[in-house]
Amino acid sequence: MENSTKPVANPALLHASLKEREHLLSVIFDAIAEVVFVLSVEEDGRYRFVFANNAFAKTTGLPLEKVAGRYVDEVIPEPSLSLVLTKYRQAVVTREQVAWQETSDYPNGQVVGEVSVVPICDETNRCRQLVGVVHDLTKEKQVEEDLRRSNARFTYALKATTDAIYEWNVADDTLYWGEGFEDLFGYRLAHNPTSFAKWADYVHPADSQRVVAGLRRAAYETAALFWQEEYRFRRADGVWAMVFDRGYILRNDEGQAVRMIGAMQDISARKMAEAQQQQLTERLVRQNSDLRQFTYIVSHNLRAPLANALGFTDLLPRLDKNSENFETSLNYLRASLQQLDQVLVDINGILSLRDTQDGYRPEPVAVAEVCEQALMGLQEALQACGGELQNAIPAELRVSGSRAYFHSIFHNLISNAIKYRSDARPLRITIEATVEANGEKRLIIGDNGSGFDLEKAGDEIFQLYRRFHVGHAGRGIGLHLVKTHVEAMEGQITVRSRMDEGTHFTLYFRPCPDENLPN
Amino acid sequence: MKTYLIDDDSLAIYLTEQLLRTEGFSNSICTFQSAEKALQTLVAEKQTAVPEVVFLDLNMPTMNGWQFLDALTPYAEELRGNCHIYILTSSLALADLEKSKHYDLVAGLIHKPLDGEEIRAIHSQLVDGLDAE
Repeated sequence: MENSTKPVANPALLHASLKEREHLLSVIFDAIAEVVFVLSVEEDGRYRFVFANNAFAKTTGLPLEKVAGRYVDEVIPEPSLSLVLTKYRQAVVTREQVAWQETSDYPNGQVVGEVSVVPICDETNRCRQLVGVVHDLTKEKQVEEDLRRSNARFTYALKATTDAIYEWNVADDTLYWGEGFEDLFGYRLAHNPTSFAKWADYVHPADSQRVVAGLRRAAYETAALFWQEEYRFRRADGVWAMVFDRGYILRNDEGQAVRMIGAMQDISARKMAEAQQQQLTERLVRQNSDLRQFTYIVSHNLRAPLANALGFTDLLPRLDKNSENFETSLNYLRASLQQLDQVLVDINGILSLRDTQDGYRPEPVAVAEVCEQALMGLQEALQACGGELQNAIPAELRVSGSRAYFHSIFHNLISNAIKYRSDARPLRITIEATVEANGEKRLIIGDNGSGFDLEKAGDEIFQLYRRFHVGHAGRGIGLHLVKTHVEAMEGQITVRSRMDEGTHFTLYFRPCPDENLPN
Repeated sequence: MKTYLIDDDSLAIYLTEQLLRTEGFSNSICTFQSAEKALQTLVAEKQTAVPEVVFLDLNMPTMNGWQFLDALTPYAEELRGNCHIYILTSSLALADLEKSKHYDLVAGLIHKPLDGEEIRAIHSQLVDGLDAE
């Protein structure tokens, strides 16, 4: 209030006020982060730095005393110099603000800035000065460049990998696919991202519950960061690929799944190699057990009749040629040699059976009909002992396998039942079939015969030349054949038996893997 | 010399019996085609008519030679010295010989066929043994 009453044109006061304002401005200029400078437009068209703030020195690395009072062409290096001179000229001529982006190399390194210059004109409308402001973009430019590089790296990684990389946007429920998806599974994507179903619909129906529902559960209902599964995925050509899929789930602060980055890997070849390895191992194990069995056969079944034959040749010369014992011993010598021959025939038969199995192709076999055929050859023996057989296999039932094998199986099991019937009751044989919920087919062949002690027989029951009944002329080869046939058709056989009650054989046949696949 | 022959193979039983008879080994030979039946008889008669010699086959259905020997274990004390068991097998497996050594009652293991020399050796062994007692 006091000042306002004083005359305005007091030169001393005016000077002091100007000084103060100038000081204030220079404090402001030095405090702000933006580069600010003032150029005077000289008569000869050159530009001279009148003022530059601290930020100018900090950004460029040029000390201020080397800037103020110098010409622009002494301070700014080429090629920026030509550019700025053009821009300055434009501002002077148009008397309007000019802005541009420039990159210059200064002692402090490369600086990227957005520059704008404002012309200051005198009363004659001539441009005397330019005020420049530089917004330092170096950091932003660096971040942008890093991002571009990392994007490029990601793109190349996508090209390099044979996996199908994808990103699941949980909120939109869409999938963005890398190129791998088309290459790996043969699809052509009309749009990318696709709906979630583009993936989910091609997961094998039998795996869908575990895989698709499992993924949603992992994302929505757990805090898991990783998810992985192996499953079958339908290729464009309809073939099922075996896939290993692993994803990383990105979650927000509340723990909700936002996105998942994942990779699908086609492991069909590896799986197939594993299966082949498994098959090879199984075959080796079987051959090994065969070898052990053949050692057993040689030491027992081949040696036993041979030892008898040797014994009889030792005995015969010492007997009276006209005695009854001589006659009997000679017959027994012949019988021993015939037994020896039979063992060789059996071994040969089993070996050639093993050989033909490699070239065997399964076909749907009408088992009820084959059972009836096998029965025809045994009808006489069955009737002779007063036995009855009930074949309850549905006529329409087909089991994948070999007709000849099933014939041999029924023949051996029925003749065993007749051979080992109980004298205490008339023989009853029942043959049934069931189909389980999972598609497994079972054949059950049961009798009410003499049975055997399962505990004593143990796992030897199906081995070659093992016998479990006294007083019967068994060679111990039938059950071995049955098991060999069942296993050749990728089935399994089990037995339960009780002394004096009977014996039940159950044959299991897995559903054929191809039967359940859609098309 | 009371003798048991235990073998499921009827030809082998006939052969061994004839060989023993031509050698004059024994005048009392009992033959069994099942080890269970032999066991029953032996246990029933162990007080009165213990066989001095048993020829035992190994490979038999339902009860094999080893199971027969195991079943005799409770009576080992009574039988020792009175009952000499010879394993008579067609098998050449060495493991059988090793295993037979674990049974006190087993006097020896013979590979089929039994021959005259072996029969005479067993006979003299037993007669000497009985004399020594």
